[in-house]
Amino acid sequence: MTLDRRRFLQLAATGMVAGLTTSACARNTSEDAIALGKPALVEMLGPERAREIGAQYRAAVPTGNTAANLRDAISSSQHRQFPWIRNRSIEEQIRDDFAAGRTVVVSGWVLSETEARQCALYSLSV
Amino acid sequence: MHTDARTLENGSVIQGDLCIVGAGAAGISIAREWANSPLNVVLLEGGGFDLEPAMQDLYRGEIVGQPYFPLEAARLHFFGGTTGHWAGYCSTYDPIDFETRPWVPHSGWPIRREDLDPFYARAQPILDLGPYEYDAEYWVKRDRDLEPFPLDPSKVWTKMWQFSPPTRFGTKYRDAIVNARNVHLYTHANVCEVEANEGLSSVDGLRVRMFDGKEHRVKARCYVLACCSIQNARLLLASNRRASAGLGNAHDIVGRYFMEHLEIPSGELVLAKPQSTKTKMYEIDYGVTKARAELALSAQVQKEHGILNGTASLERGVLGEQVKSTFQFLPPELLKATMAWEKGGKVGPSPLSASSPPAATAVQQAAPRIFHLMTRQEQAPNPNSRVMLSTEKDAMGMPRPKLDWQLTELDKRSIRTYYKVLGQEMGRTGLGRVQLRDWLLSDDRTWPSFISGGWHHMGTTRMHADPKQGVVDANCRVHGIGNLYVAGAAVYPTAGAANPTLTLVALSLRLSDYLRTKLA
Repeated sequence: MTLDRRRFLQLAATGMVAGLTTSACARNTSEDAIALGKPALVEMLGPERAREIGAQYRAAVPTGNTAANLRDAISSSQHRQFPWIRNRSIEEQIRDDFAAGRTVVVSGWVLSETEARQCALYSLSV
Repeated sequence: MHTDARTLENGSVIQGDLCIVGAGAAGISIAREWANSPLNVVLLEGGGFDLEPAMQDLYRGEIVGQPYFPLEAARLHFFGGTTGHWAGYCSTYDPIDFETRPWVPHSGWPIRREDLDPFYARAQPILDLGPYEYDAEYWVKRDRDLEPFPLDPSKVWTKMWQFSPPTRFGTKYRDAIVNARNVHLYTHANVCEVEANEGLSSVDGLRVRMFDGKEHRVKARCYVLACCSIQNARLLLASNRRASAGLGNAHDIVGRYFMEHLEIPSGELVLAKPQSTKTKMYEIDYGVTKARAELALSAQVQKEHGILNGTASLERGVLGEQVKSTFQFLPPELLKATMAWEKGGKVGPSPLSASSPPAATAVQQAAPRIFHLMTRQEQAPNPNSRVMLSTEKDAMGMPRPKLDWQLTELDKRSIRTYYKVLGQEMGRTGLGRVQLRDWLLSDDRTWPSFISGGWHHMGTTRMHADPKQGVVDANCRVHGIGNLYVAGAAVYPTAGAANPTLTLVALSLRLSDYLRTKLA
């Protein structure tokens, strides 16, 4: 399957791209696909701030900040701690990040690595 | 009994068993304990019963180092002292505050929290507080709407505060003091020198001076300096006729270790599910709320990260709005207006309410999502943060104080680390997210222009068992001087995270009990 960048970002924004690109990680439930494309921070902080956080994160982590890489990073970290558990939700993953101290400070916000990457992905998609 | 010292003939001698210098929270708390006892107590107050600009000006001083609030506005120089404009916030110091912490240089008290517990209990009614209960569970049982956040207490715990009305000592205890047959209050009696004997082993008397040049002497068996951290240090340093470095200052400690509480807006909390998150436990409706909680850093985390003790309080707000620090919120002119409003019978709205931030007036709104996080943190004991004597003199001929308030990298790193820990806990529990304010993201040596204390002056005559490390011993007696004691927050070796008044009243009661054994 091939996608041009514009199409990829459109799909990423709606979460549809999750089902197309994450076969290696077997994370293709529709709920997670939506969660991946739209971080919970959008509701908490608003789309503008989520975008700004995402842009800041991408600026701070200049390598590997393409949509594909971000998605891979999120997916691979989903299985880092408990690789045999295949159905952890993004929300659980984020909480695990916080519990394990896998946090980053972006624009002053104390965020889990996962949600920071989500915001980065989100900032690419809108 | 009460005498205006200005009416005495020049050269009068005032005598008693116990002389207390300063009629603020500490001095009055001690004097009350001795009322109607067989011993004679002399209570000296530099001011009168009300604010007098000329008296207040005696507190003016030079400020170097970190910017600070004008000294003449930070303390009140009349009967009742600074309780004339305090806000009434009370909580106990934590057990860890008394411990020697290897990561906090110069930490450690020669007493433990358990030593103060009975005195905390006795201090509660003096400050018109509720029962001696600072356990969150106690308050939760009494109000089902109070619900602590489900944070891990080994990281962030629920520290309770109680609120005094606030008690104005000058109003509430004036009659009790003036009518006590054995307590003699002298107003307008400014002590300008503590006179030691030749061997510097005891105090022979005090010199009291009037604006018109008249002087009186005060002689007692024991003397207690209770005129606040800056003035106590100033008086000891200026009492240098026999000891060139000042009295009790053989080891150059008097005036050092001046401490404040760092009170400054430091972050934001955004709740994930405001509709289902109860926040009443952390909010204050000033004048109504009897107790509320703050989010306090656990002893374990302090130890793990090598940081100071601190809390965060919540204030409703919106993201991105300007939030004032304590000093910014209450400039000197507003302080004066508030006192005038109180004195005038509180007619009309309080000047404070007119300037209140939206957070303070928005408590009744439903389901708030955003809270400003306000830090209240101890500052690390620092010998370079100090009170010295200025070359300028006041109207009494006393050298004015010179305050050099200094902060350290540990102070800032502690605040930043705390908010990261808090942010992790908020995220782990799904309660919300925390944002650190910009000033906290810069290096540890840089402080913002709005850095603020809480007008809490502590240290300067710190308590330590070793005379080389402290000015007073565990009983608040000045090392090497048999009959000179210090009461108040000046003796604190570390500042704790809580406001100082409850602890200073408790310590004063403890000192009072000790003096009973000495003077019996």
